Amino acid sequence: MQHNTLYLRRRIINTVMMGLSLAATLIGLVWLLLILGMLVVKGGSALNLALFTQMTPPPGSADGGLLNAIFGSLAMSLMAMLIGLPVGLLAGTWLAEYGRKQPLAELVRFVNDVLLSAPSIIIGLFIYEVLVMRMGHFSAWAGACALAVIVVPVVVRTTEDMLRLVPDTIREAAAALGAPRWKVITLISYRAARSGLVTGGLLAFARISGETAPLLFTALNNQFWSTDLNAPLANLPVTIFQFALSPYEGWQQLAWAGSLLITIVILALNILARVLSAGGKGK
Amino acid sequence: MMQQTSLQMAPPAMATDATSAKVSIRRLNFHYGSFHALRDINLDLREREVTAFIGASGSGKSTLLRVLNRIYDLYPGQRAEGEVLLDGQNILSPRQDPNLLRARVGMVFQKPTPFPMTIHDNIAFGIKLYERLGRTELEARVEQALRDAALWDEVKDKLQQSGLSLSGGQQQRLCIARAIATRPAVLLLDEPTSALDPISTAKCEELIDQLKDRYTIAIVTHNMQQATRISDWTAFMHLGELVEFGDTEQVFTRPRESRTEDYVTGRFG
Repeated sequence: MQHNTLYLRRRIINTVMMGLSLAATLIGLVWLLLILGMLVVKGGSALNLALFTQMTPPPGSADGGLLNAIFGSLAMSLMAMLIGLPVGLLAGTWLAEYGRKQPLAELVRFVNDVLLSAPSIIIGLFIYEVLVMRMGHFSAWAGACALAVIVVPVVVRTTEDMLRLVPDTIREAAAALGAPRWKVITLISYRAARSGLVTGGLLAFARISGETAPLLFTALNNQFWSTDLNAPLANLPVTIFQFALSPYEGWQQLAWAGSLLITIVILALNILARVLSAGGKGK
Repeated sequence: MMQQTSLQMAPPAMATDATSAKVSIRRLNFHYGSFHALRDINLDLREREVTAFIGASGSGKSTLLRVLNRIYDLYPGQRAEGEVLLDGQNILSPRQDPNLLRARVGMVFQKPTPFPMTIHDNIAFGIKLYERLGRTELEARVEQALRDAALWDEVKDKLQQSGLSLSGGQQQRLCIARAIATRPAVLLLDEPTSALDPISTAKCEELIDQLKDRYTIAIVTHNMQQATRISDWTAFMHLGELVEFGDTEQVFTRPRESRTEDYVTGRFG
């Protein structure tokens, strides 16, 4: 009988804990669903072709779109990836393939973790100080640099993690054929970790596509169509920030539409990243 | 002539007839950091014969194999002292380029290690490292390696499929094919069948038997029957020392050392 009461007790505790865990999960999920639902309801009605064909309108105007802001965001994000991706890949490669447990590698890893969690507004201020102040004006270049500073630690981290998942036995097998180190890395390690590396890049891109604070201090915003990278450039996050706070109905609508757009892109990138990393494991 | 010098250096007890020695190990000591893993090893690998290394886990068999292609060099803190002569040349010398050495001394590992690429590219990888071949020539070499490894019939229709899609036994034969595709002088096999089922193991053993016509082979194994089946010479190691080395039949039927007898009869290890 002793045995049965013990067992009963265990089952009750199990049920209670399961219930608590489930409740916690639901509380976490509810917010995500609420945000998504709100965005779809409010932004969905504002989604139309004009969004992608017209510029941001003057205050009070009923129509207009986000073309200049979409272009600006894409341009700066792509430039940031072009700057940040190679740096992050190389640094991550060094950590995983050469540095390993060296004291210098531990230091780099620590600094990278700090950078990874640095508030993005501070990164914006930093670029404001070193680039915007010296150039004397806001510019898309400065915006791209601020975003690149965010890209680097993300890519360093994922690159190192993904390369460390490649077993040393494969590296040894390649070296045992007489392959020099750089060939082992480029032809074997990178290939084995390929889907993980692509995933890291996608996640970094998703991360910067919604960043607002670093752009406020660097690229600022632009009401008009511009492709001049040496001047302030329109972008989605800052446009959303401005329009959402404005008293004009038309601008508020565009802010909702822009928010939905960014969310969809980030969601799509995350799903793509998941699919890719799952595919990589499957092989 | 070089072999004569190695003969002079060889302590009499452990040396076999050095006239056909492909690899001569002399006074070899090995350290993992502060751990002394191999102690004063002296041993010859005879050309085109199979030498088996047996002994309990931690006896230094794998370590010894990893010296012969200097794969230990990849890791800081591991160092070898003494001499290992391959065709009379000391491969432990700092002047020896480890990559060129590894191109001449192939290795197959305990677990199959197919590269994440097609079956064809797995084989071509090693060949292309040191040879510039035309397309047809390369194809011929890939086919030959797969035939030599008794894998051709099973994969000839799916050369463009991933090497990871093969079964464990096929993957291991792919790794053997990859190792012999570069036409090495010596083949090192580190427990190549320990992860395989009995049928795959039998195929691999058959393969090793055929390969010894062309290669000098050193194999580490935990399987006594395997050692007796495939090797000409057997080295019994214990705690970093070479306890006994001799003709396989002699080691297994009339061992000179009682420790060897205990091990091969299963009384310890």
